Amino acid sequence: MLEYAAYALVLFSLAMYVVLDGYDLGVGMLSLAARPERRREYGEIVATAWDANESWLILVGVVLWAGLPGAYAVVLPAVYLPLIVMLAAVILRGLALEMHSAAGRYRRGWALLFGGASLAATVCQGLVLGAVLTGPRQRGGAFHGGAFDWFSLYGVLCAAGLVVVYLLAGAAWLQDKTEGWSRSEVRRTGRTLLLATAAMALVLGLMLPGADPQQFQLGQPVRAVLFWLAVGVAAVAGAVAWHGFGRGPDWRPFAAVATMTASGLLGLAALSLPVVVPPGLSVHQVASPHSSQLFLVLGVGLCMPFVLAYNIYAWRSFRGKYSDPVESPVPPLPARGRALPDAPAATGAARTIVRRVLLTVLGVLATGLSQDVFGGASDLIGPIGVTVLGCAALAAWIAGDRRDGRAGYFDADTGAETTS
Amino acid sequence: MASPGVVELSRWQFAITAIFHMTFPALTVGLSVLLAVVYTVYVRTGNPLYLQIFRFWKKIFAVGFGLGVVAGTVMTFEFGLNWGVYAHAVGPVIGVTIGMEVITAFFLEAGFIGLMLYGDGRIRPRTMALASWMVAFGTLLSTTWILSANSWMQDPVGYQKVAGQFHAKDWMSILFNPAFAHRFPHMLLAVLISSAWFVGGISAWYLVKKRSSAQPMARRCLSIALGVLGVLMPLQLYVGDGTAVFMGQHQLPKLEAFEGNWRSDNNGYNLLVVPDADKGENRLHVEIPHLGSVIAQDLSGRTTTPGLLQTPPDERPNMWTTFYGFRAMYFTALLMFGTAFAGVVLRLRRRLYDSPRFLRWMVWMTPAGIIAITGGWIVAETGRQPWVVYGQLRTADAVSHLSTPEVAATLAGFVLLYVTLLAIWARYIVRTVKAGPEALTGPASTDVPEALVA
Repeated sequence: MLEYAAYALVLFSLAMYVVLDGYDLGVGMLSLAARPERRREYGEIVATAWDANESWLILVGVVLWAGLPGAYAVVLPAVYLPLIVMLAAVILRGLALEMHSAAGRYRRGWALLFGGASLAATVCQGLVLGAVLTGPRQRGGAFHGGAFDWFSLYGVLCAAGLVVVYLLAGAAWLQDKTEGWSRSEVRRTGRTLLLATAAMALVLGLMLPGADPQQFQLGQPVRAVLFWLAVGVAAVAGAVAWHGFGRGPDWRPFAAVATMTASGLLGLAALSLPVVVPPGLSVHQVASPHSSQLFLVLGVGLCMPFVLAYNIYAWRSFRGKYSDPVESPVPPLPARGRALPDAPAATGAARTIVRRVLLTVLGVLATGLSQDVFGGASDLIGPIGVTVLGCAALAAWIAGDRRDGRAGYFDADTGAETTS
Repeated sequence: MASPGVVELSRWQFAITAIFHMTFPALTVGLSVLLAVVYTVYVRTGNPLYLQIFRFWKKIFAVGFGLGVVAGTVMTFEFGLNWGVYAHAVGPVIGVTIGMEVITAFFLEAGFIGLMLYGDGRIRPRTMALASWMVAFGTLLSTTWILSANSWMQDPVGYQKVAGQFHAKDWMSILFNPAFAHRFPHMLLAVLISSAWFVGGISAWYLVKKRSSAQPMARRCLSIALGVLGVLMPLQLYVGDGTAVFMGQHQLPKLEAFEGNWRSDNNGYNLLVVPDADKGENRLHVEIPHLGSVIAQDLSGRTTTPGLLQTPPDERPNMWTTFYGFRAMYFTALLMFGTAFAGVVLRLRRRLYDSPRFLRWMVWMTPAGIIAITGGWIVAETGRQPWVVYGQLRTADAVSHLSTPEVAATLAGFVLLYVTLLAIWARYIVRTVKAGPEALTGPASTDVPEALVA
């Protein structure tokens, strides 16, 4: 039973990823079509959350690895090229976002890179999805196909489908986050994307039995009920989104789209369980041993409520419409009352040389002491020596800092220019 | 059985992506602690100097953290992409450890980083301070788990092998494996130290340039950096020595390779070697006679260091990378120790902020920590070869079924991408530093500002 819990964890993280990073990849792609003055805002909307959103992708990867290592070892080499391009796109996207955000104003190159990398990442994720659904060739629990096995008509259609779904999520998110889109504009875009999503879901769903080598057993009542329930929920959520686009409350379309995506994923899982990698690798075959499952499910499961709690907290802190943050300027430093003390007077050349020789000898001794060179004589020399050296340095630091603080080294210069 | 080309290229790919990834945590772990400390001090004292420090280092931290995250994402998937057999074999052990890292540490960082970076003016200062501490705590926790996972590969314990797969038997001994006890403190100190050099070097640059608006900040940061270094450097040499001794006992070939000896009759300390692996000798070596015996804590100069010929040829690591990785780490460590020592002396002599030669030297030391960390990881990883899980799983047997052109193409792509990224990152740091900290507004006030909270 425990392997189903691990599978559920993978599925949950995947759903979280698709919903959360889905919207920010979608916003990225939409920014390509936006007017330049809006692009920076789109980037900033994503910038506050992308780290957290992308963490779910990492969680998908490691939970799959730890919980279902058989699937991880077969699937990843099978989708080698698209996955690596996806990772490269994710890198470029993160770079573009952070650099754009740090630049403080609109920069065309970073904005276009952000949008383009979002598109590339989405397409590659779609290709990966397609490759998994069409069943990687494997032998004895290891991938055994060619470098371009992932390329198929179904894979390309999956990529197109995922682009549309993410665009839809992005549009719904933007309705929640910005004032910039007019109601009619949102309604038109959102509903068009919704129609496209429905069309793609229909095409991909009808083609699935032909593309996927496993036998779907919709004859089993529990499976059929779960599958059609998921389809029904997705359809209802789609209708809610249709109604909600361009109409308040602004959070409704995104909630509906998220529900739709998640139930679509659940429907797919209901259809294929216990098969994880088509056509034949089941969850039992790919699962890790019991001790690992137990540790993983308990460890990750117990942490999950906390993770969700602070993610919700962070999300709430940025809720509502996006506005440029107002950083209050740094107030002036306290000024130093008197001049800095003069540097100590130079000593004579002979004294300087003697001092430096002595200090060098002391330094070499301290180096040797720290490396326990004299440890052959007694085991205690090393630990005691290091403690003495460390404490002496700490005492010098504290005393020196207090002295310098009193002397005004850390205050603004009086009379000197303080503005820049 | 994969072709040797795929194994070699995959190793290069992993090495390059890992080294690239490592340069970011090497800075951001320590910076996150610095940011949390200075913001807390700001909240408690209300001294705007600490707000200025926070805002300045935050700019560098933000981009570094973002790049570290995406470079880390690559690593998560690379285990399965290139090393499918390894992934299947160790998934039940390492996969779980890294899974715990993601859920406890990675999410903590990622969840609070948005608040910390963009929360100014939106959330209360105390919440900002909390978020900063959570990010710092997350980065430290992350270091802990990763070191636990990697140390297990260096010295595997607490498992049972079932049909080629490692099954966990005793989680406590897996997580707190013997190598972890040495390597974790060593790495923790290393990341704190490397960011201290980074902060100290950049602060010294402002003092060298006599940038008037940045003087208080530069002095304050230089004092903190050298204070930390004075305390941590002796400790690090001690812990590092312990780690080397431990590794010498548990992975003798690694010690044989990083000391640069083939035969076991040398009591000197090798400064330079040109190894010839086929003949099993050094074509050239420069040594300090008798000094090698202090490795074994023998001050008489007679004890010899074991050589690589003791190890069967198919279990020998590459001496080039292991030896020079170790020299890069160790010689940089000596420079760092000397500089930190000089810093303590200068502080006691009240010359810390106006010794031009020392400050210029500090600027050169900016990347010292990163160089040492890179060298250290090269020793740790190439010195473990030909094993990926020491003594249990050979690297050559761990690779995925891939074609050589496929791996070569992605390797070239990664190299191109990462070189570009490093250039952009370096240019960003230079520009941010040159732009300097945010200007202070208004005329300097003579009265001490009241604390934000009592």
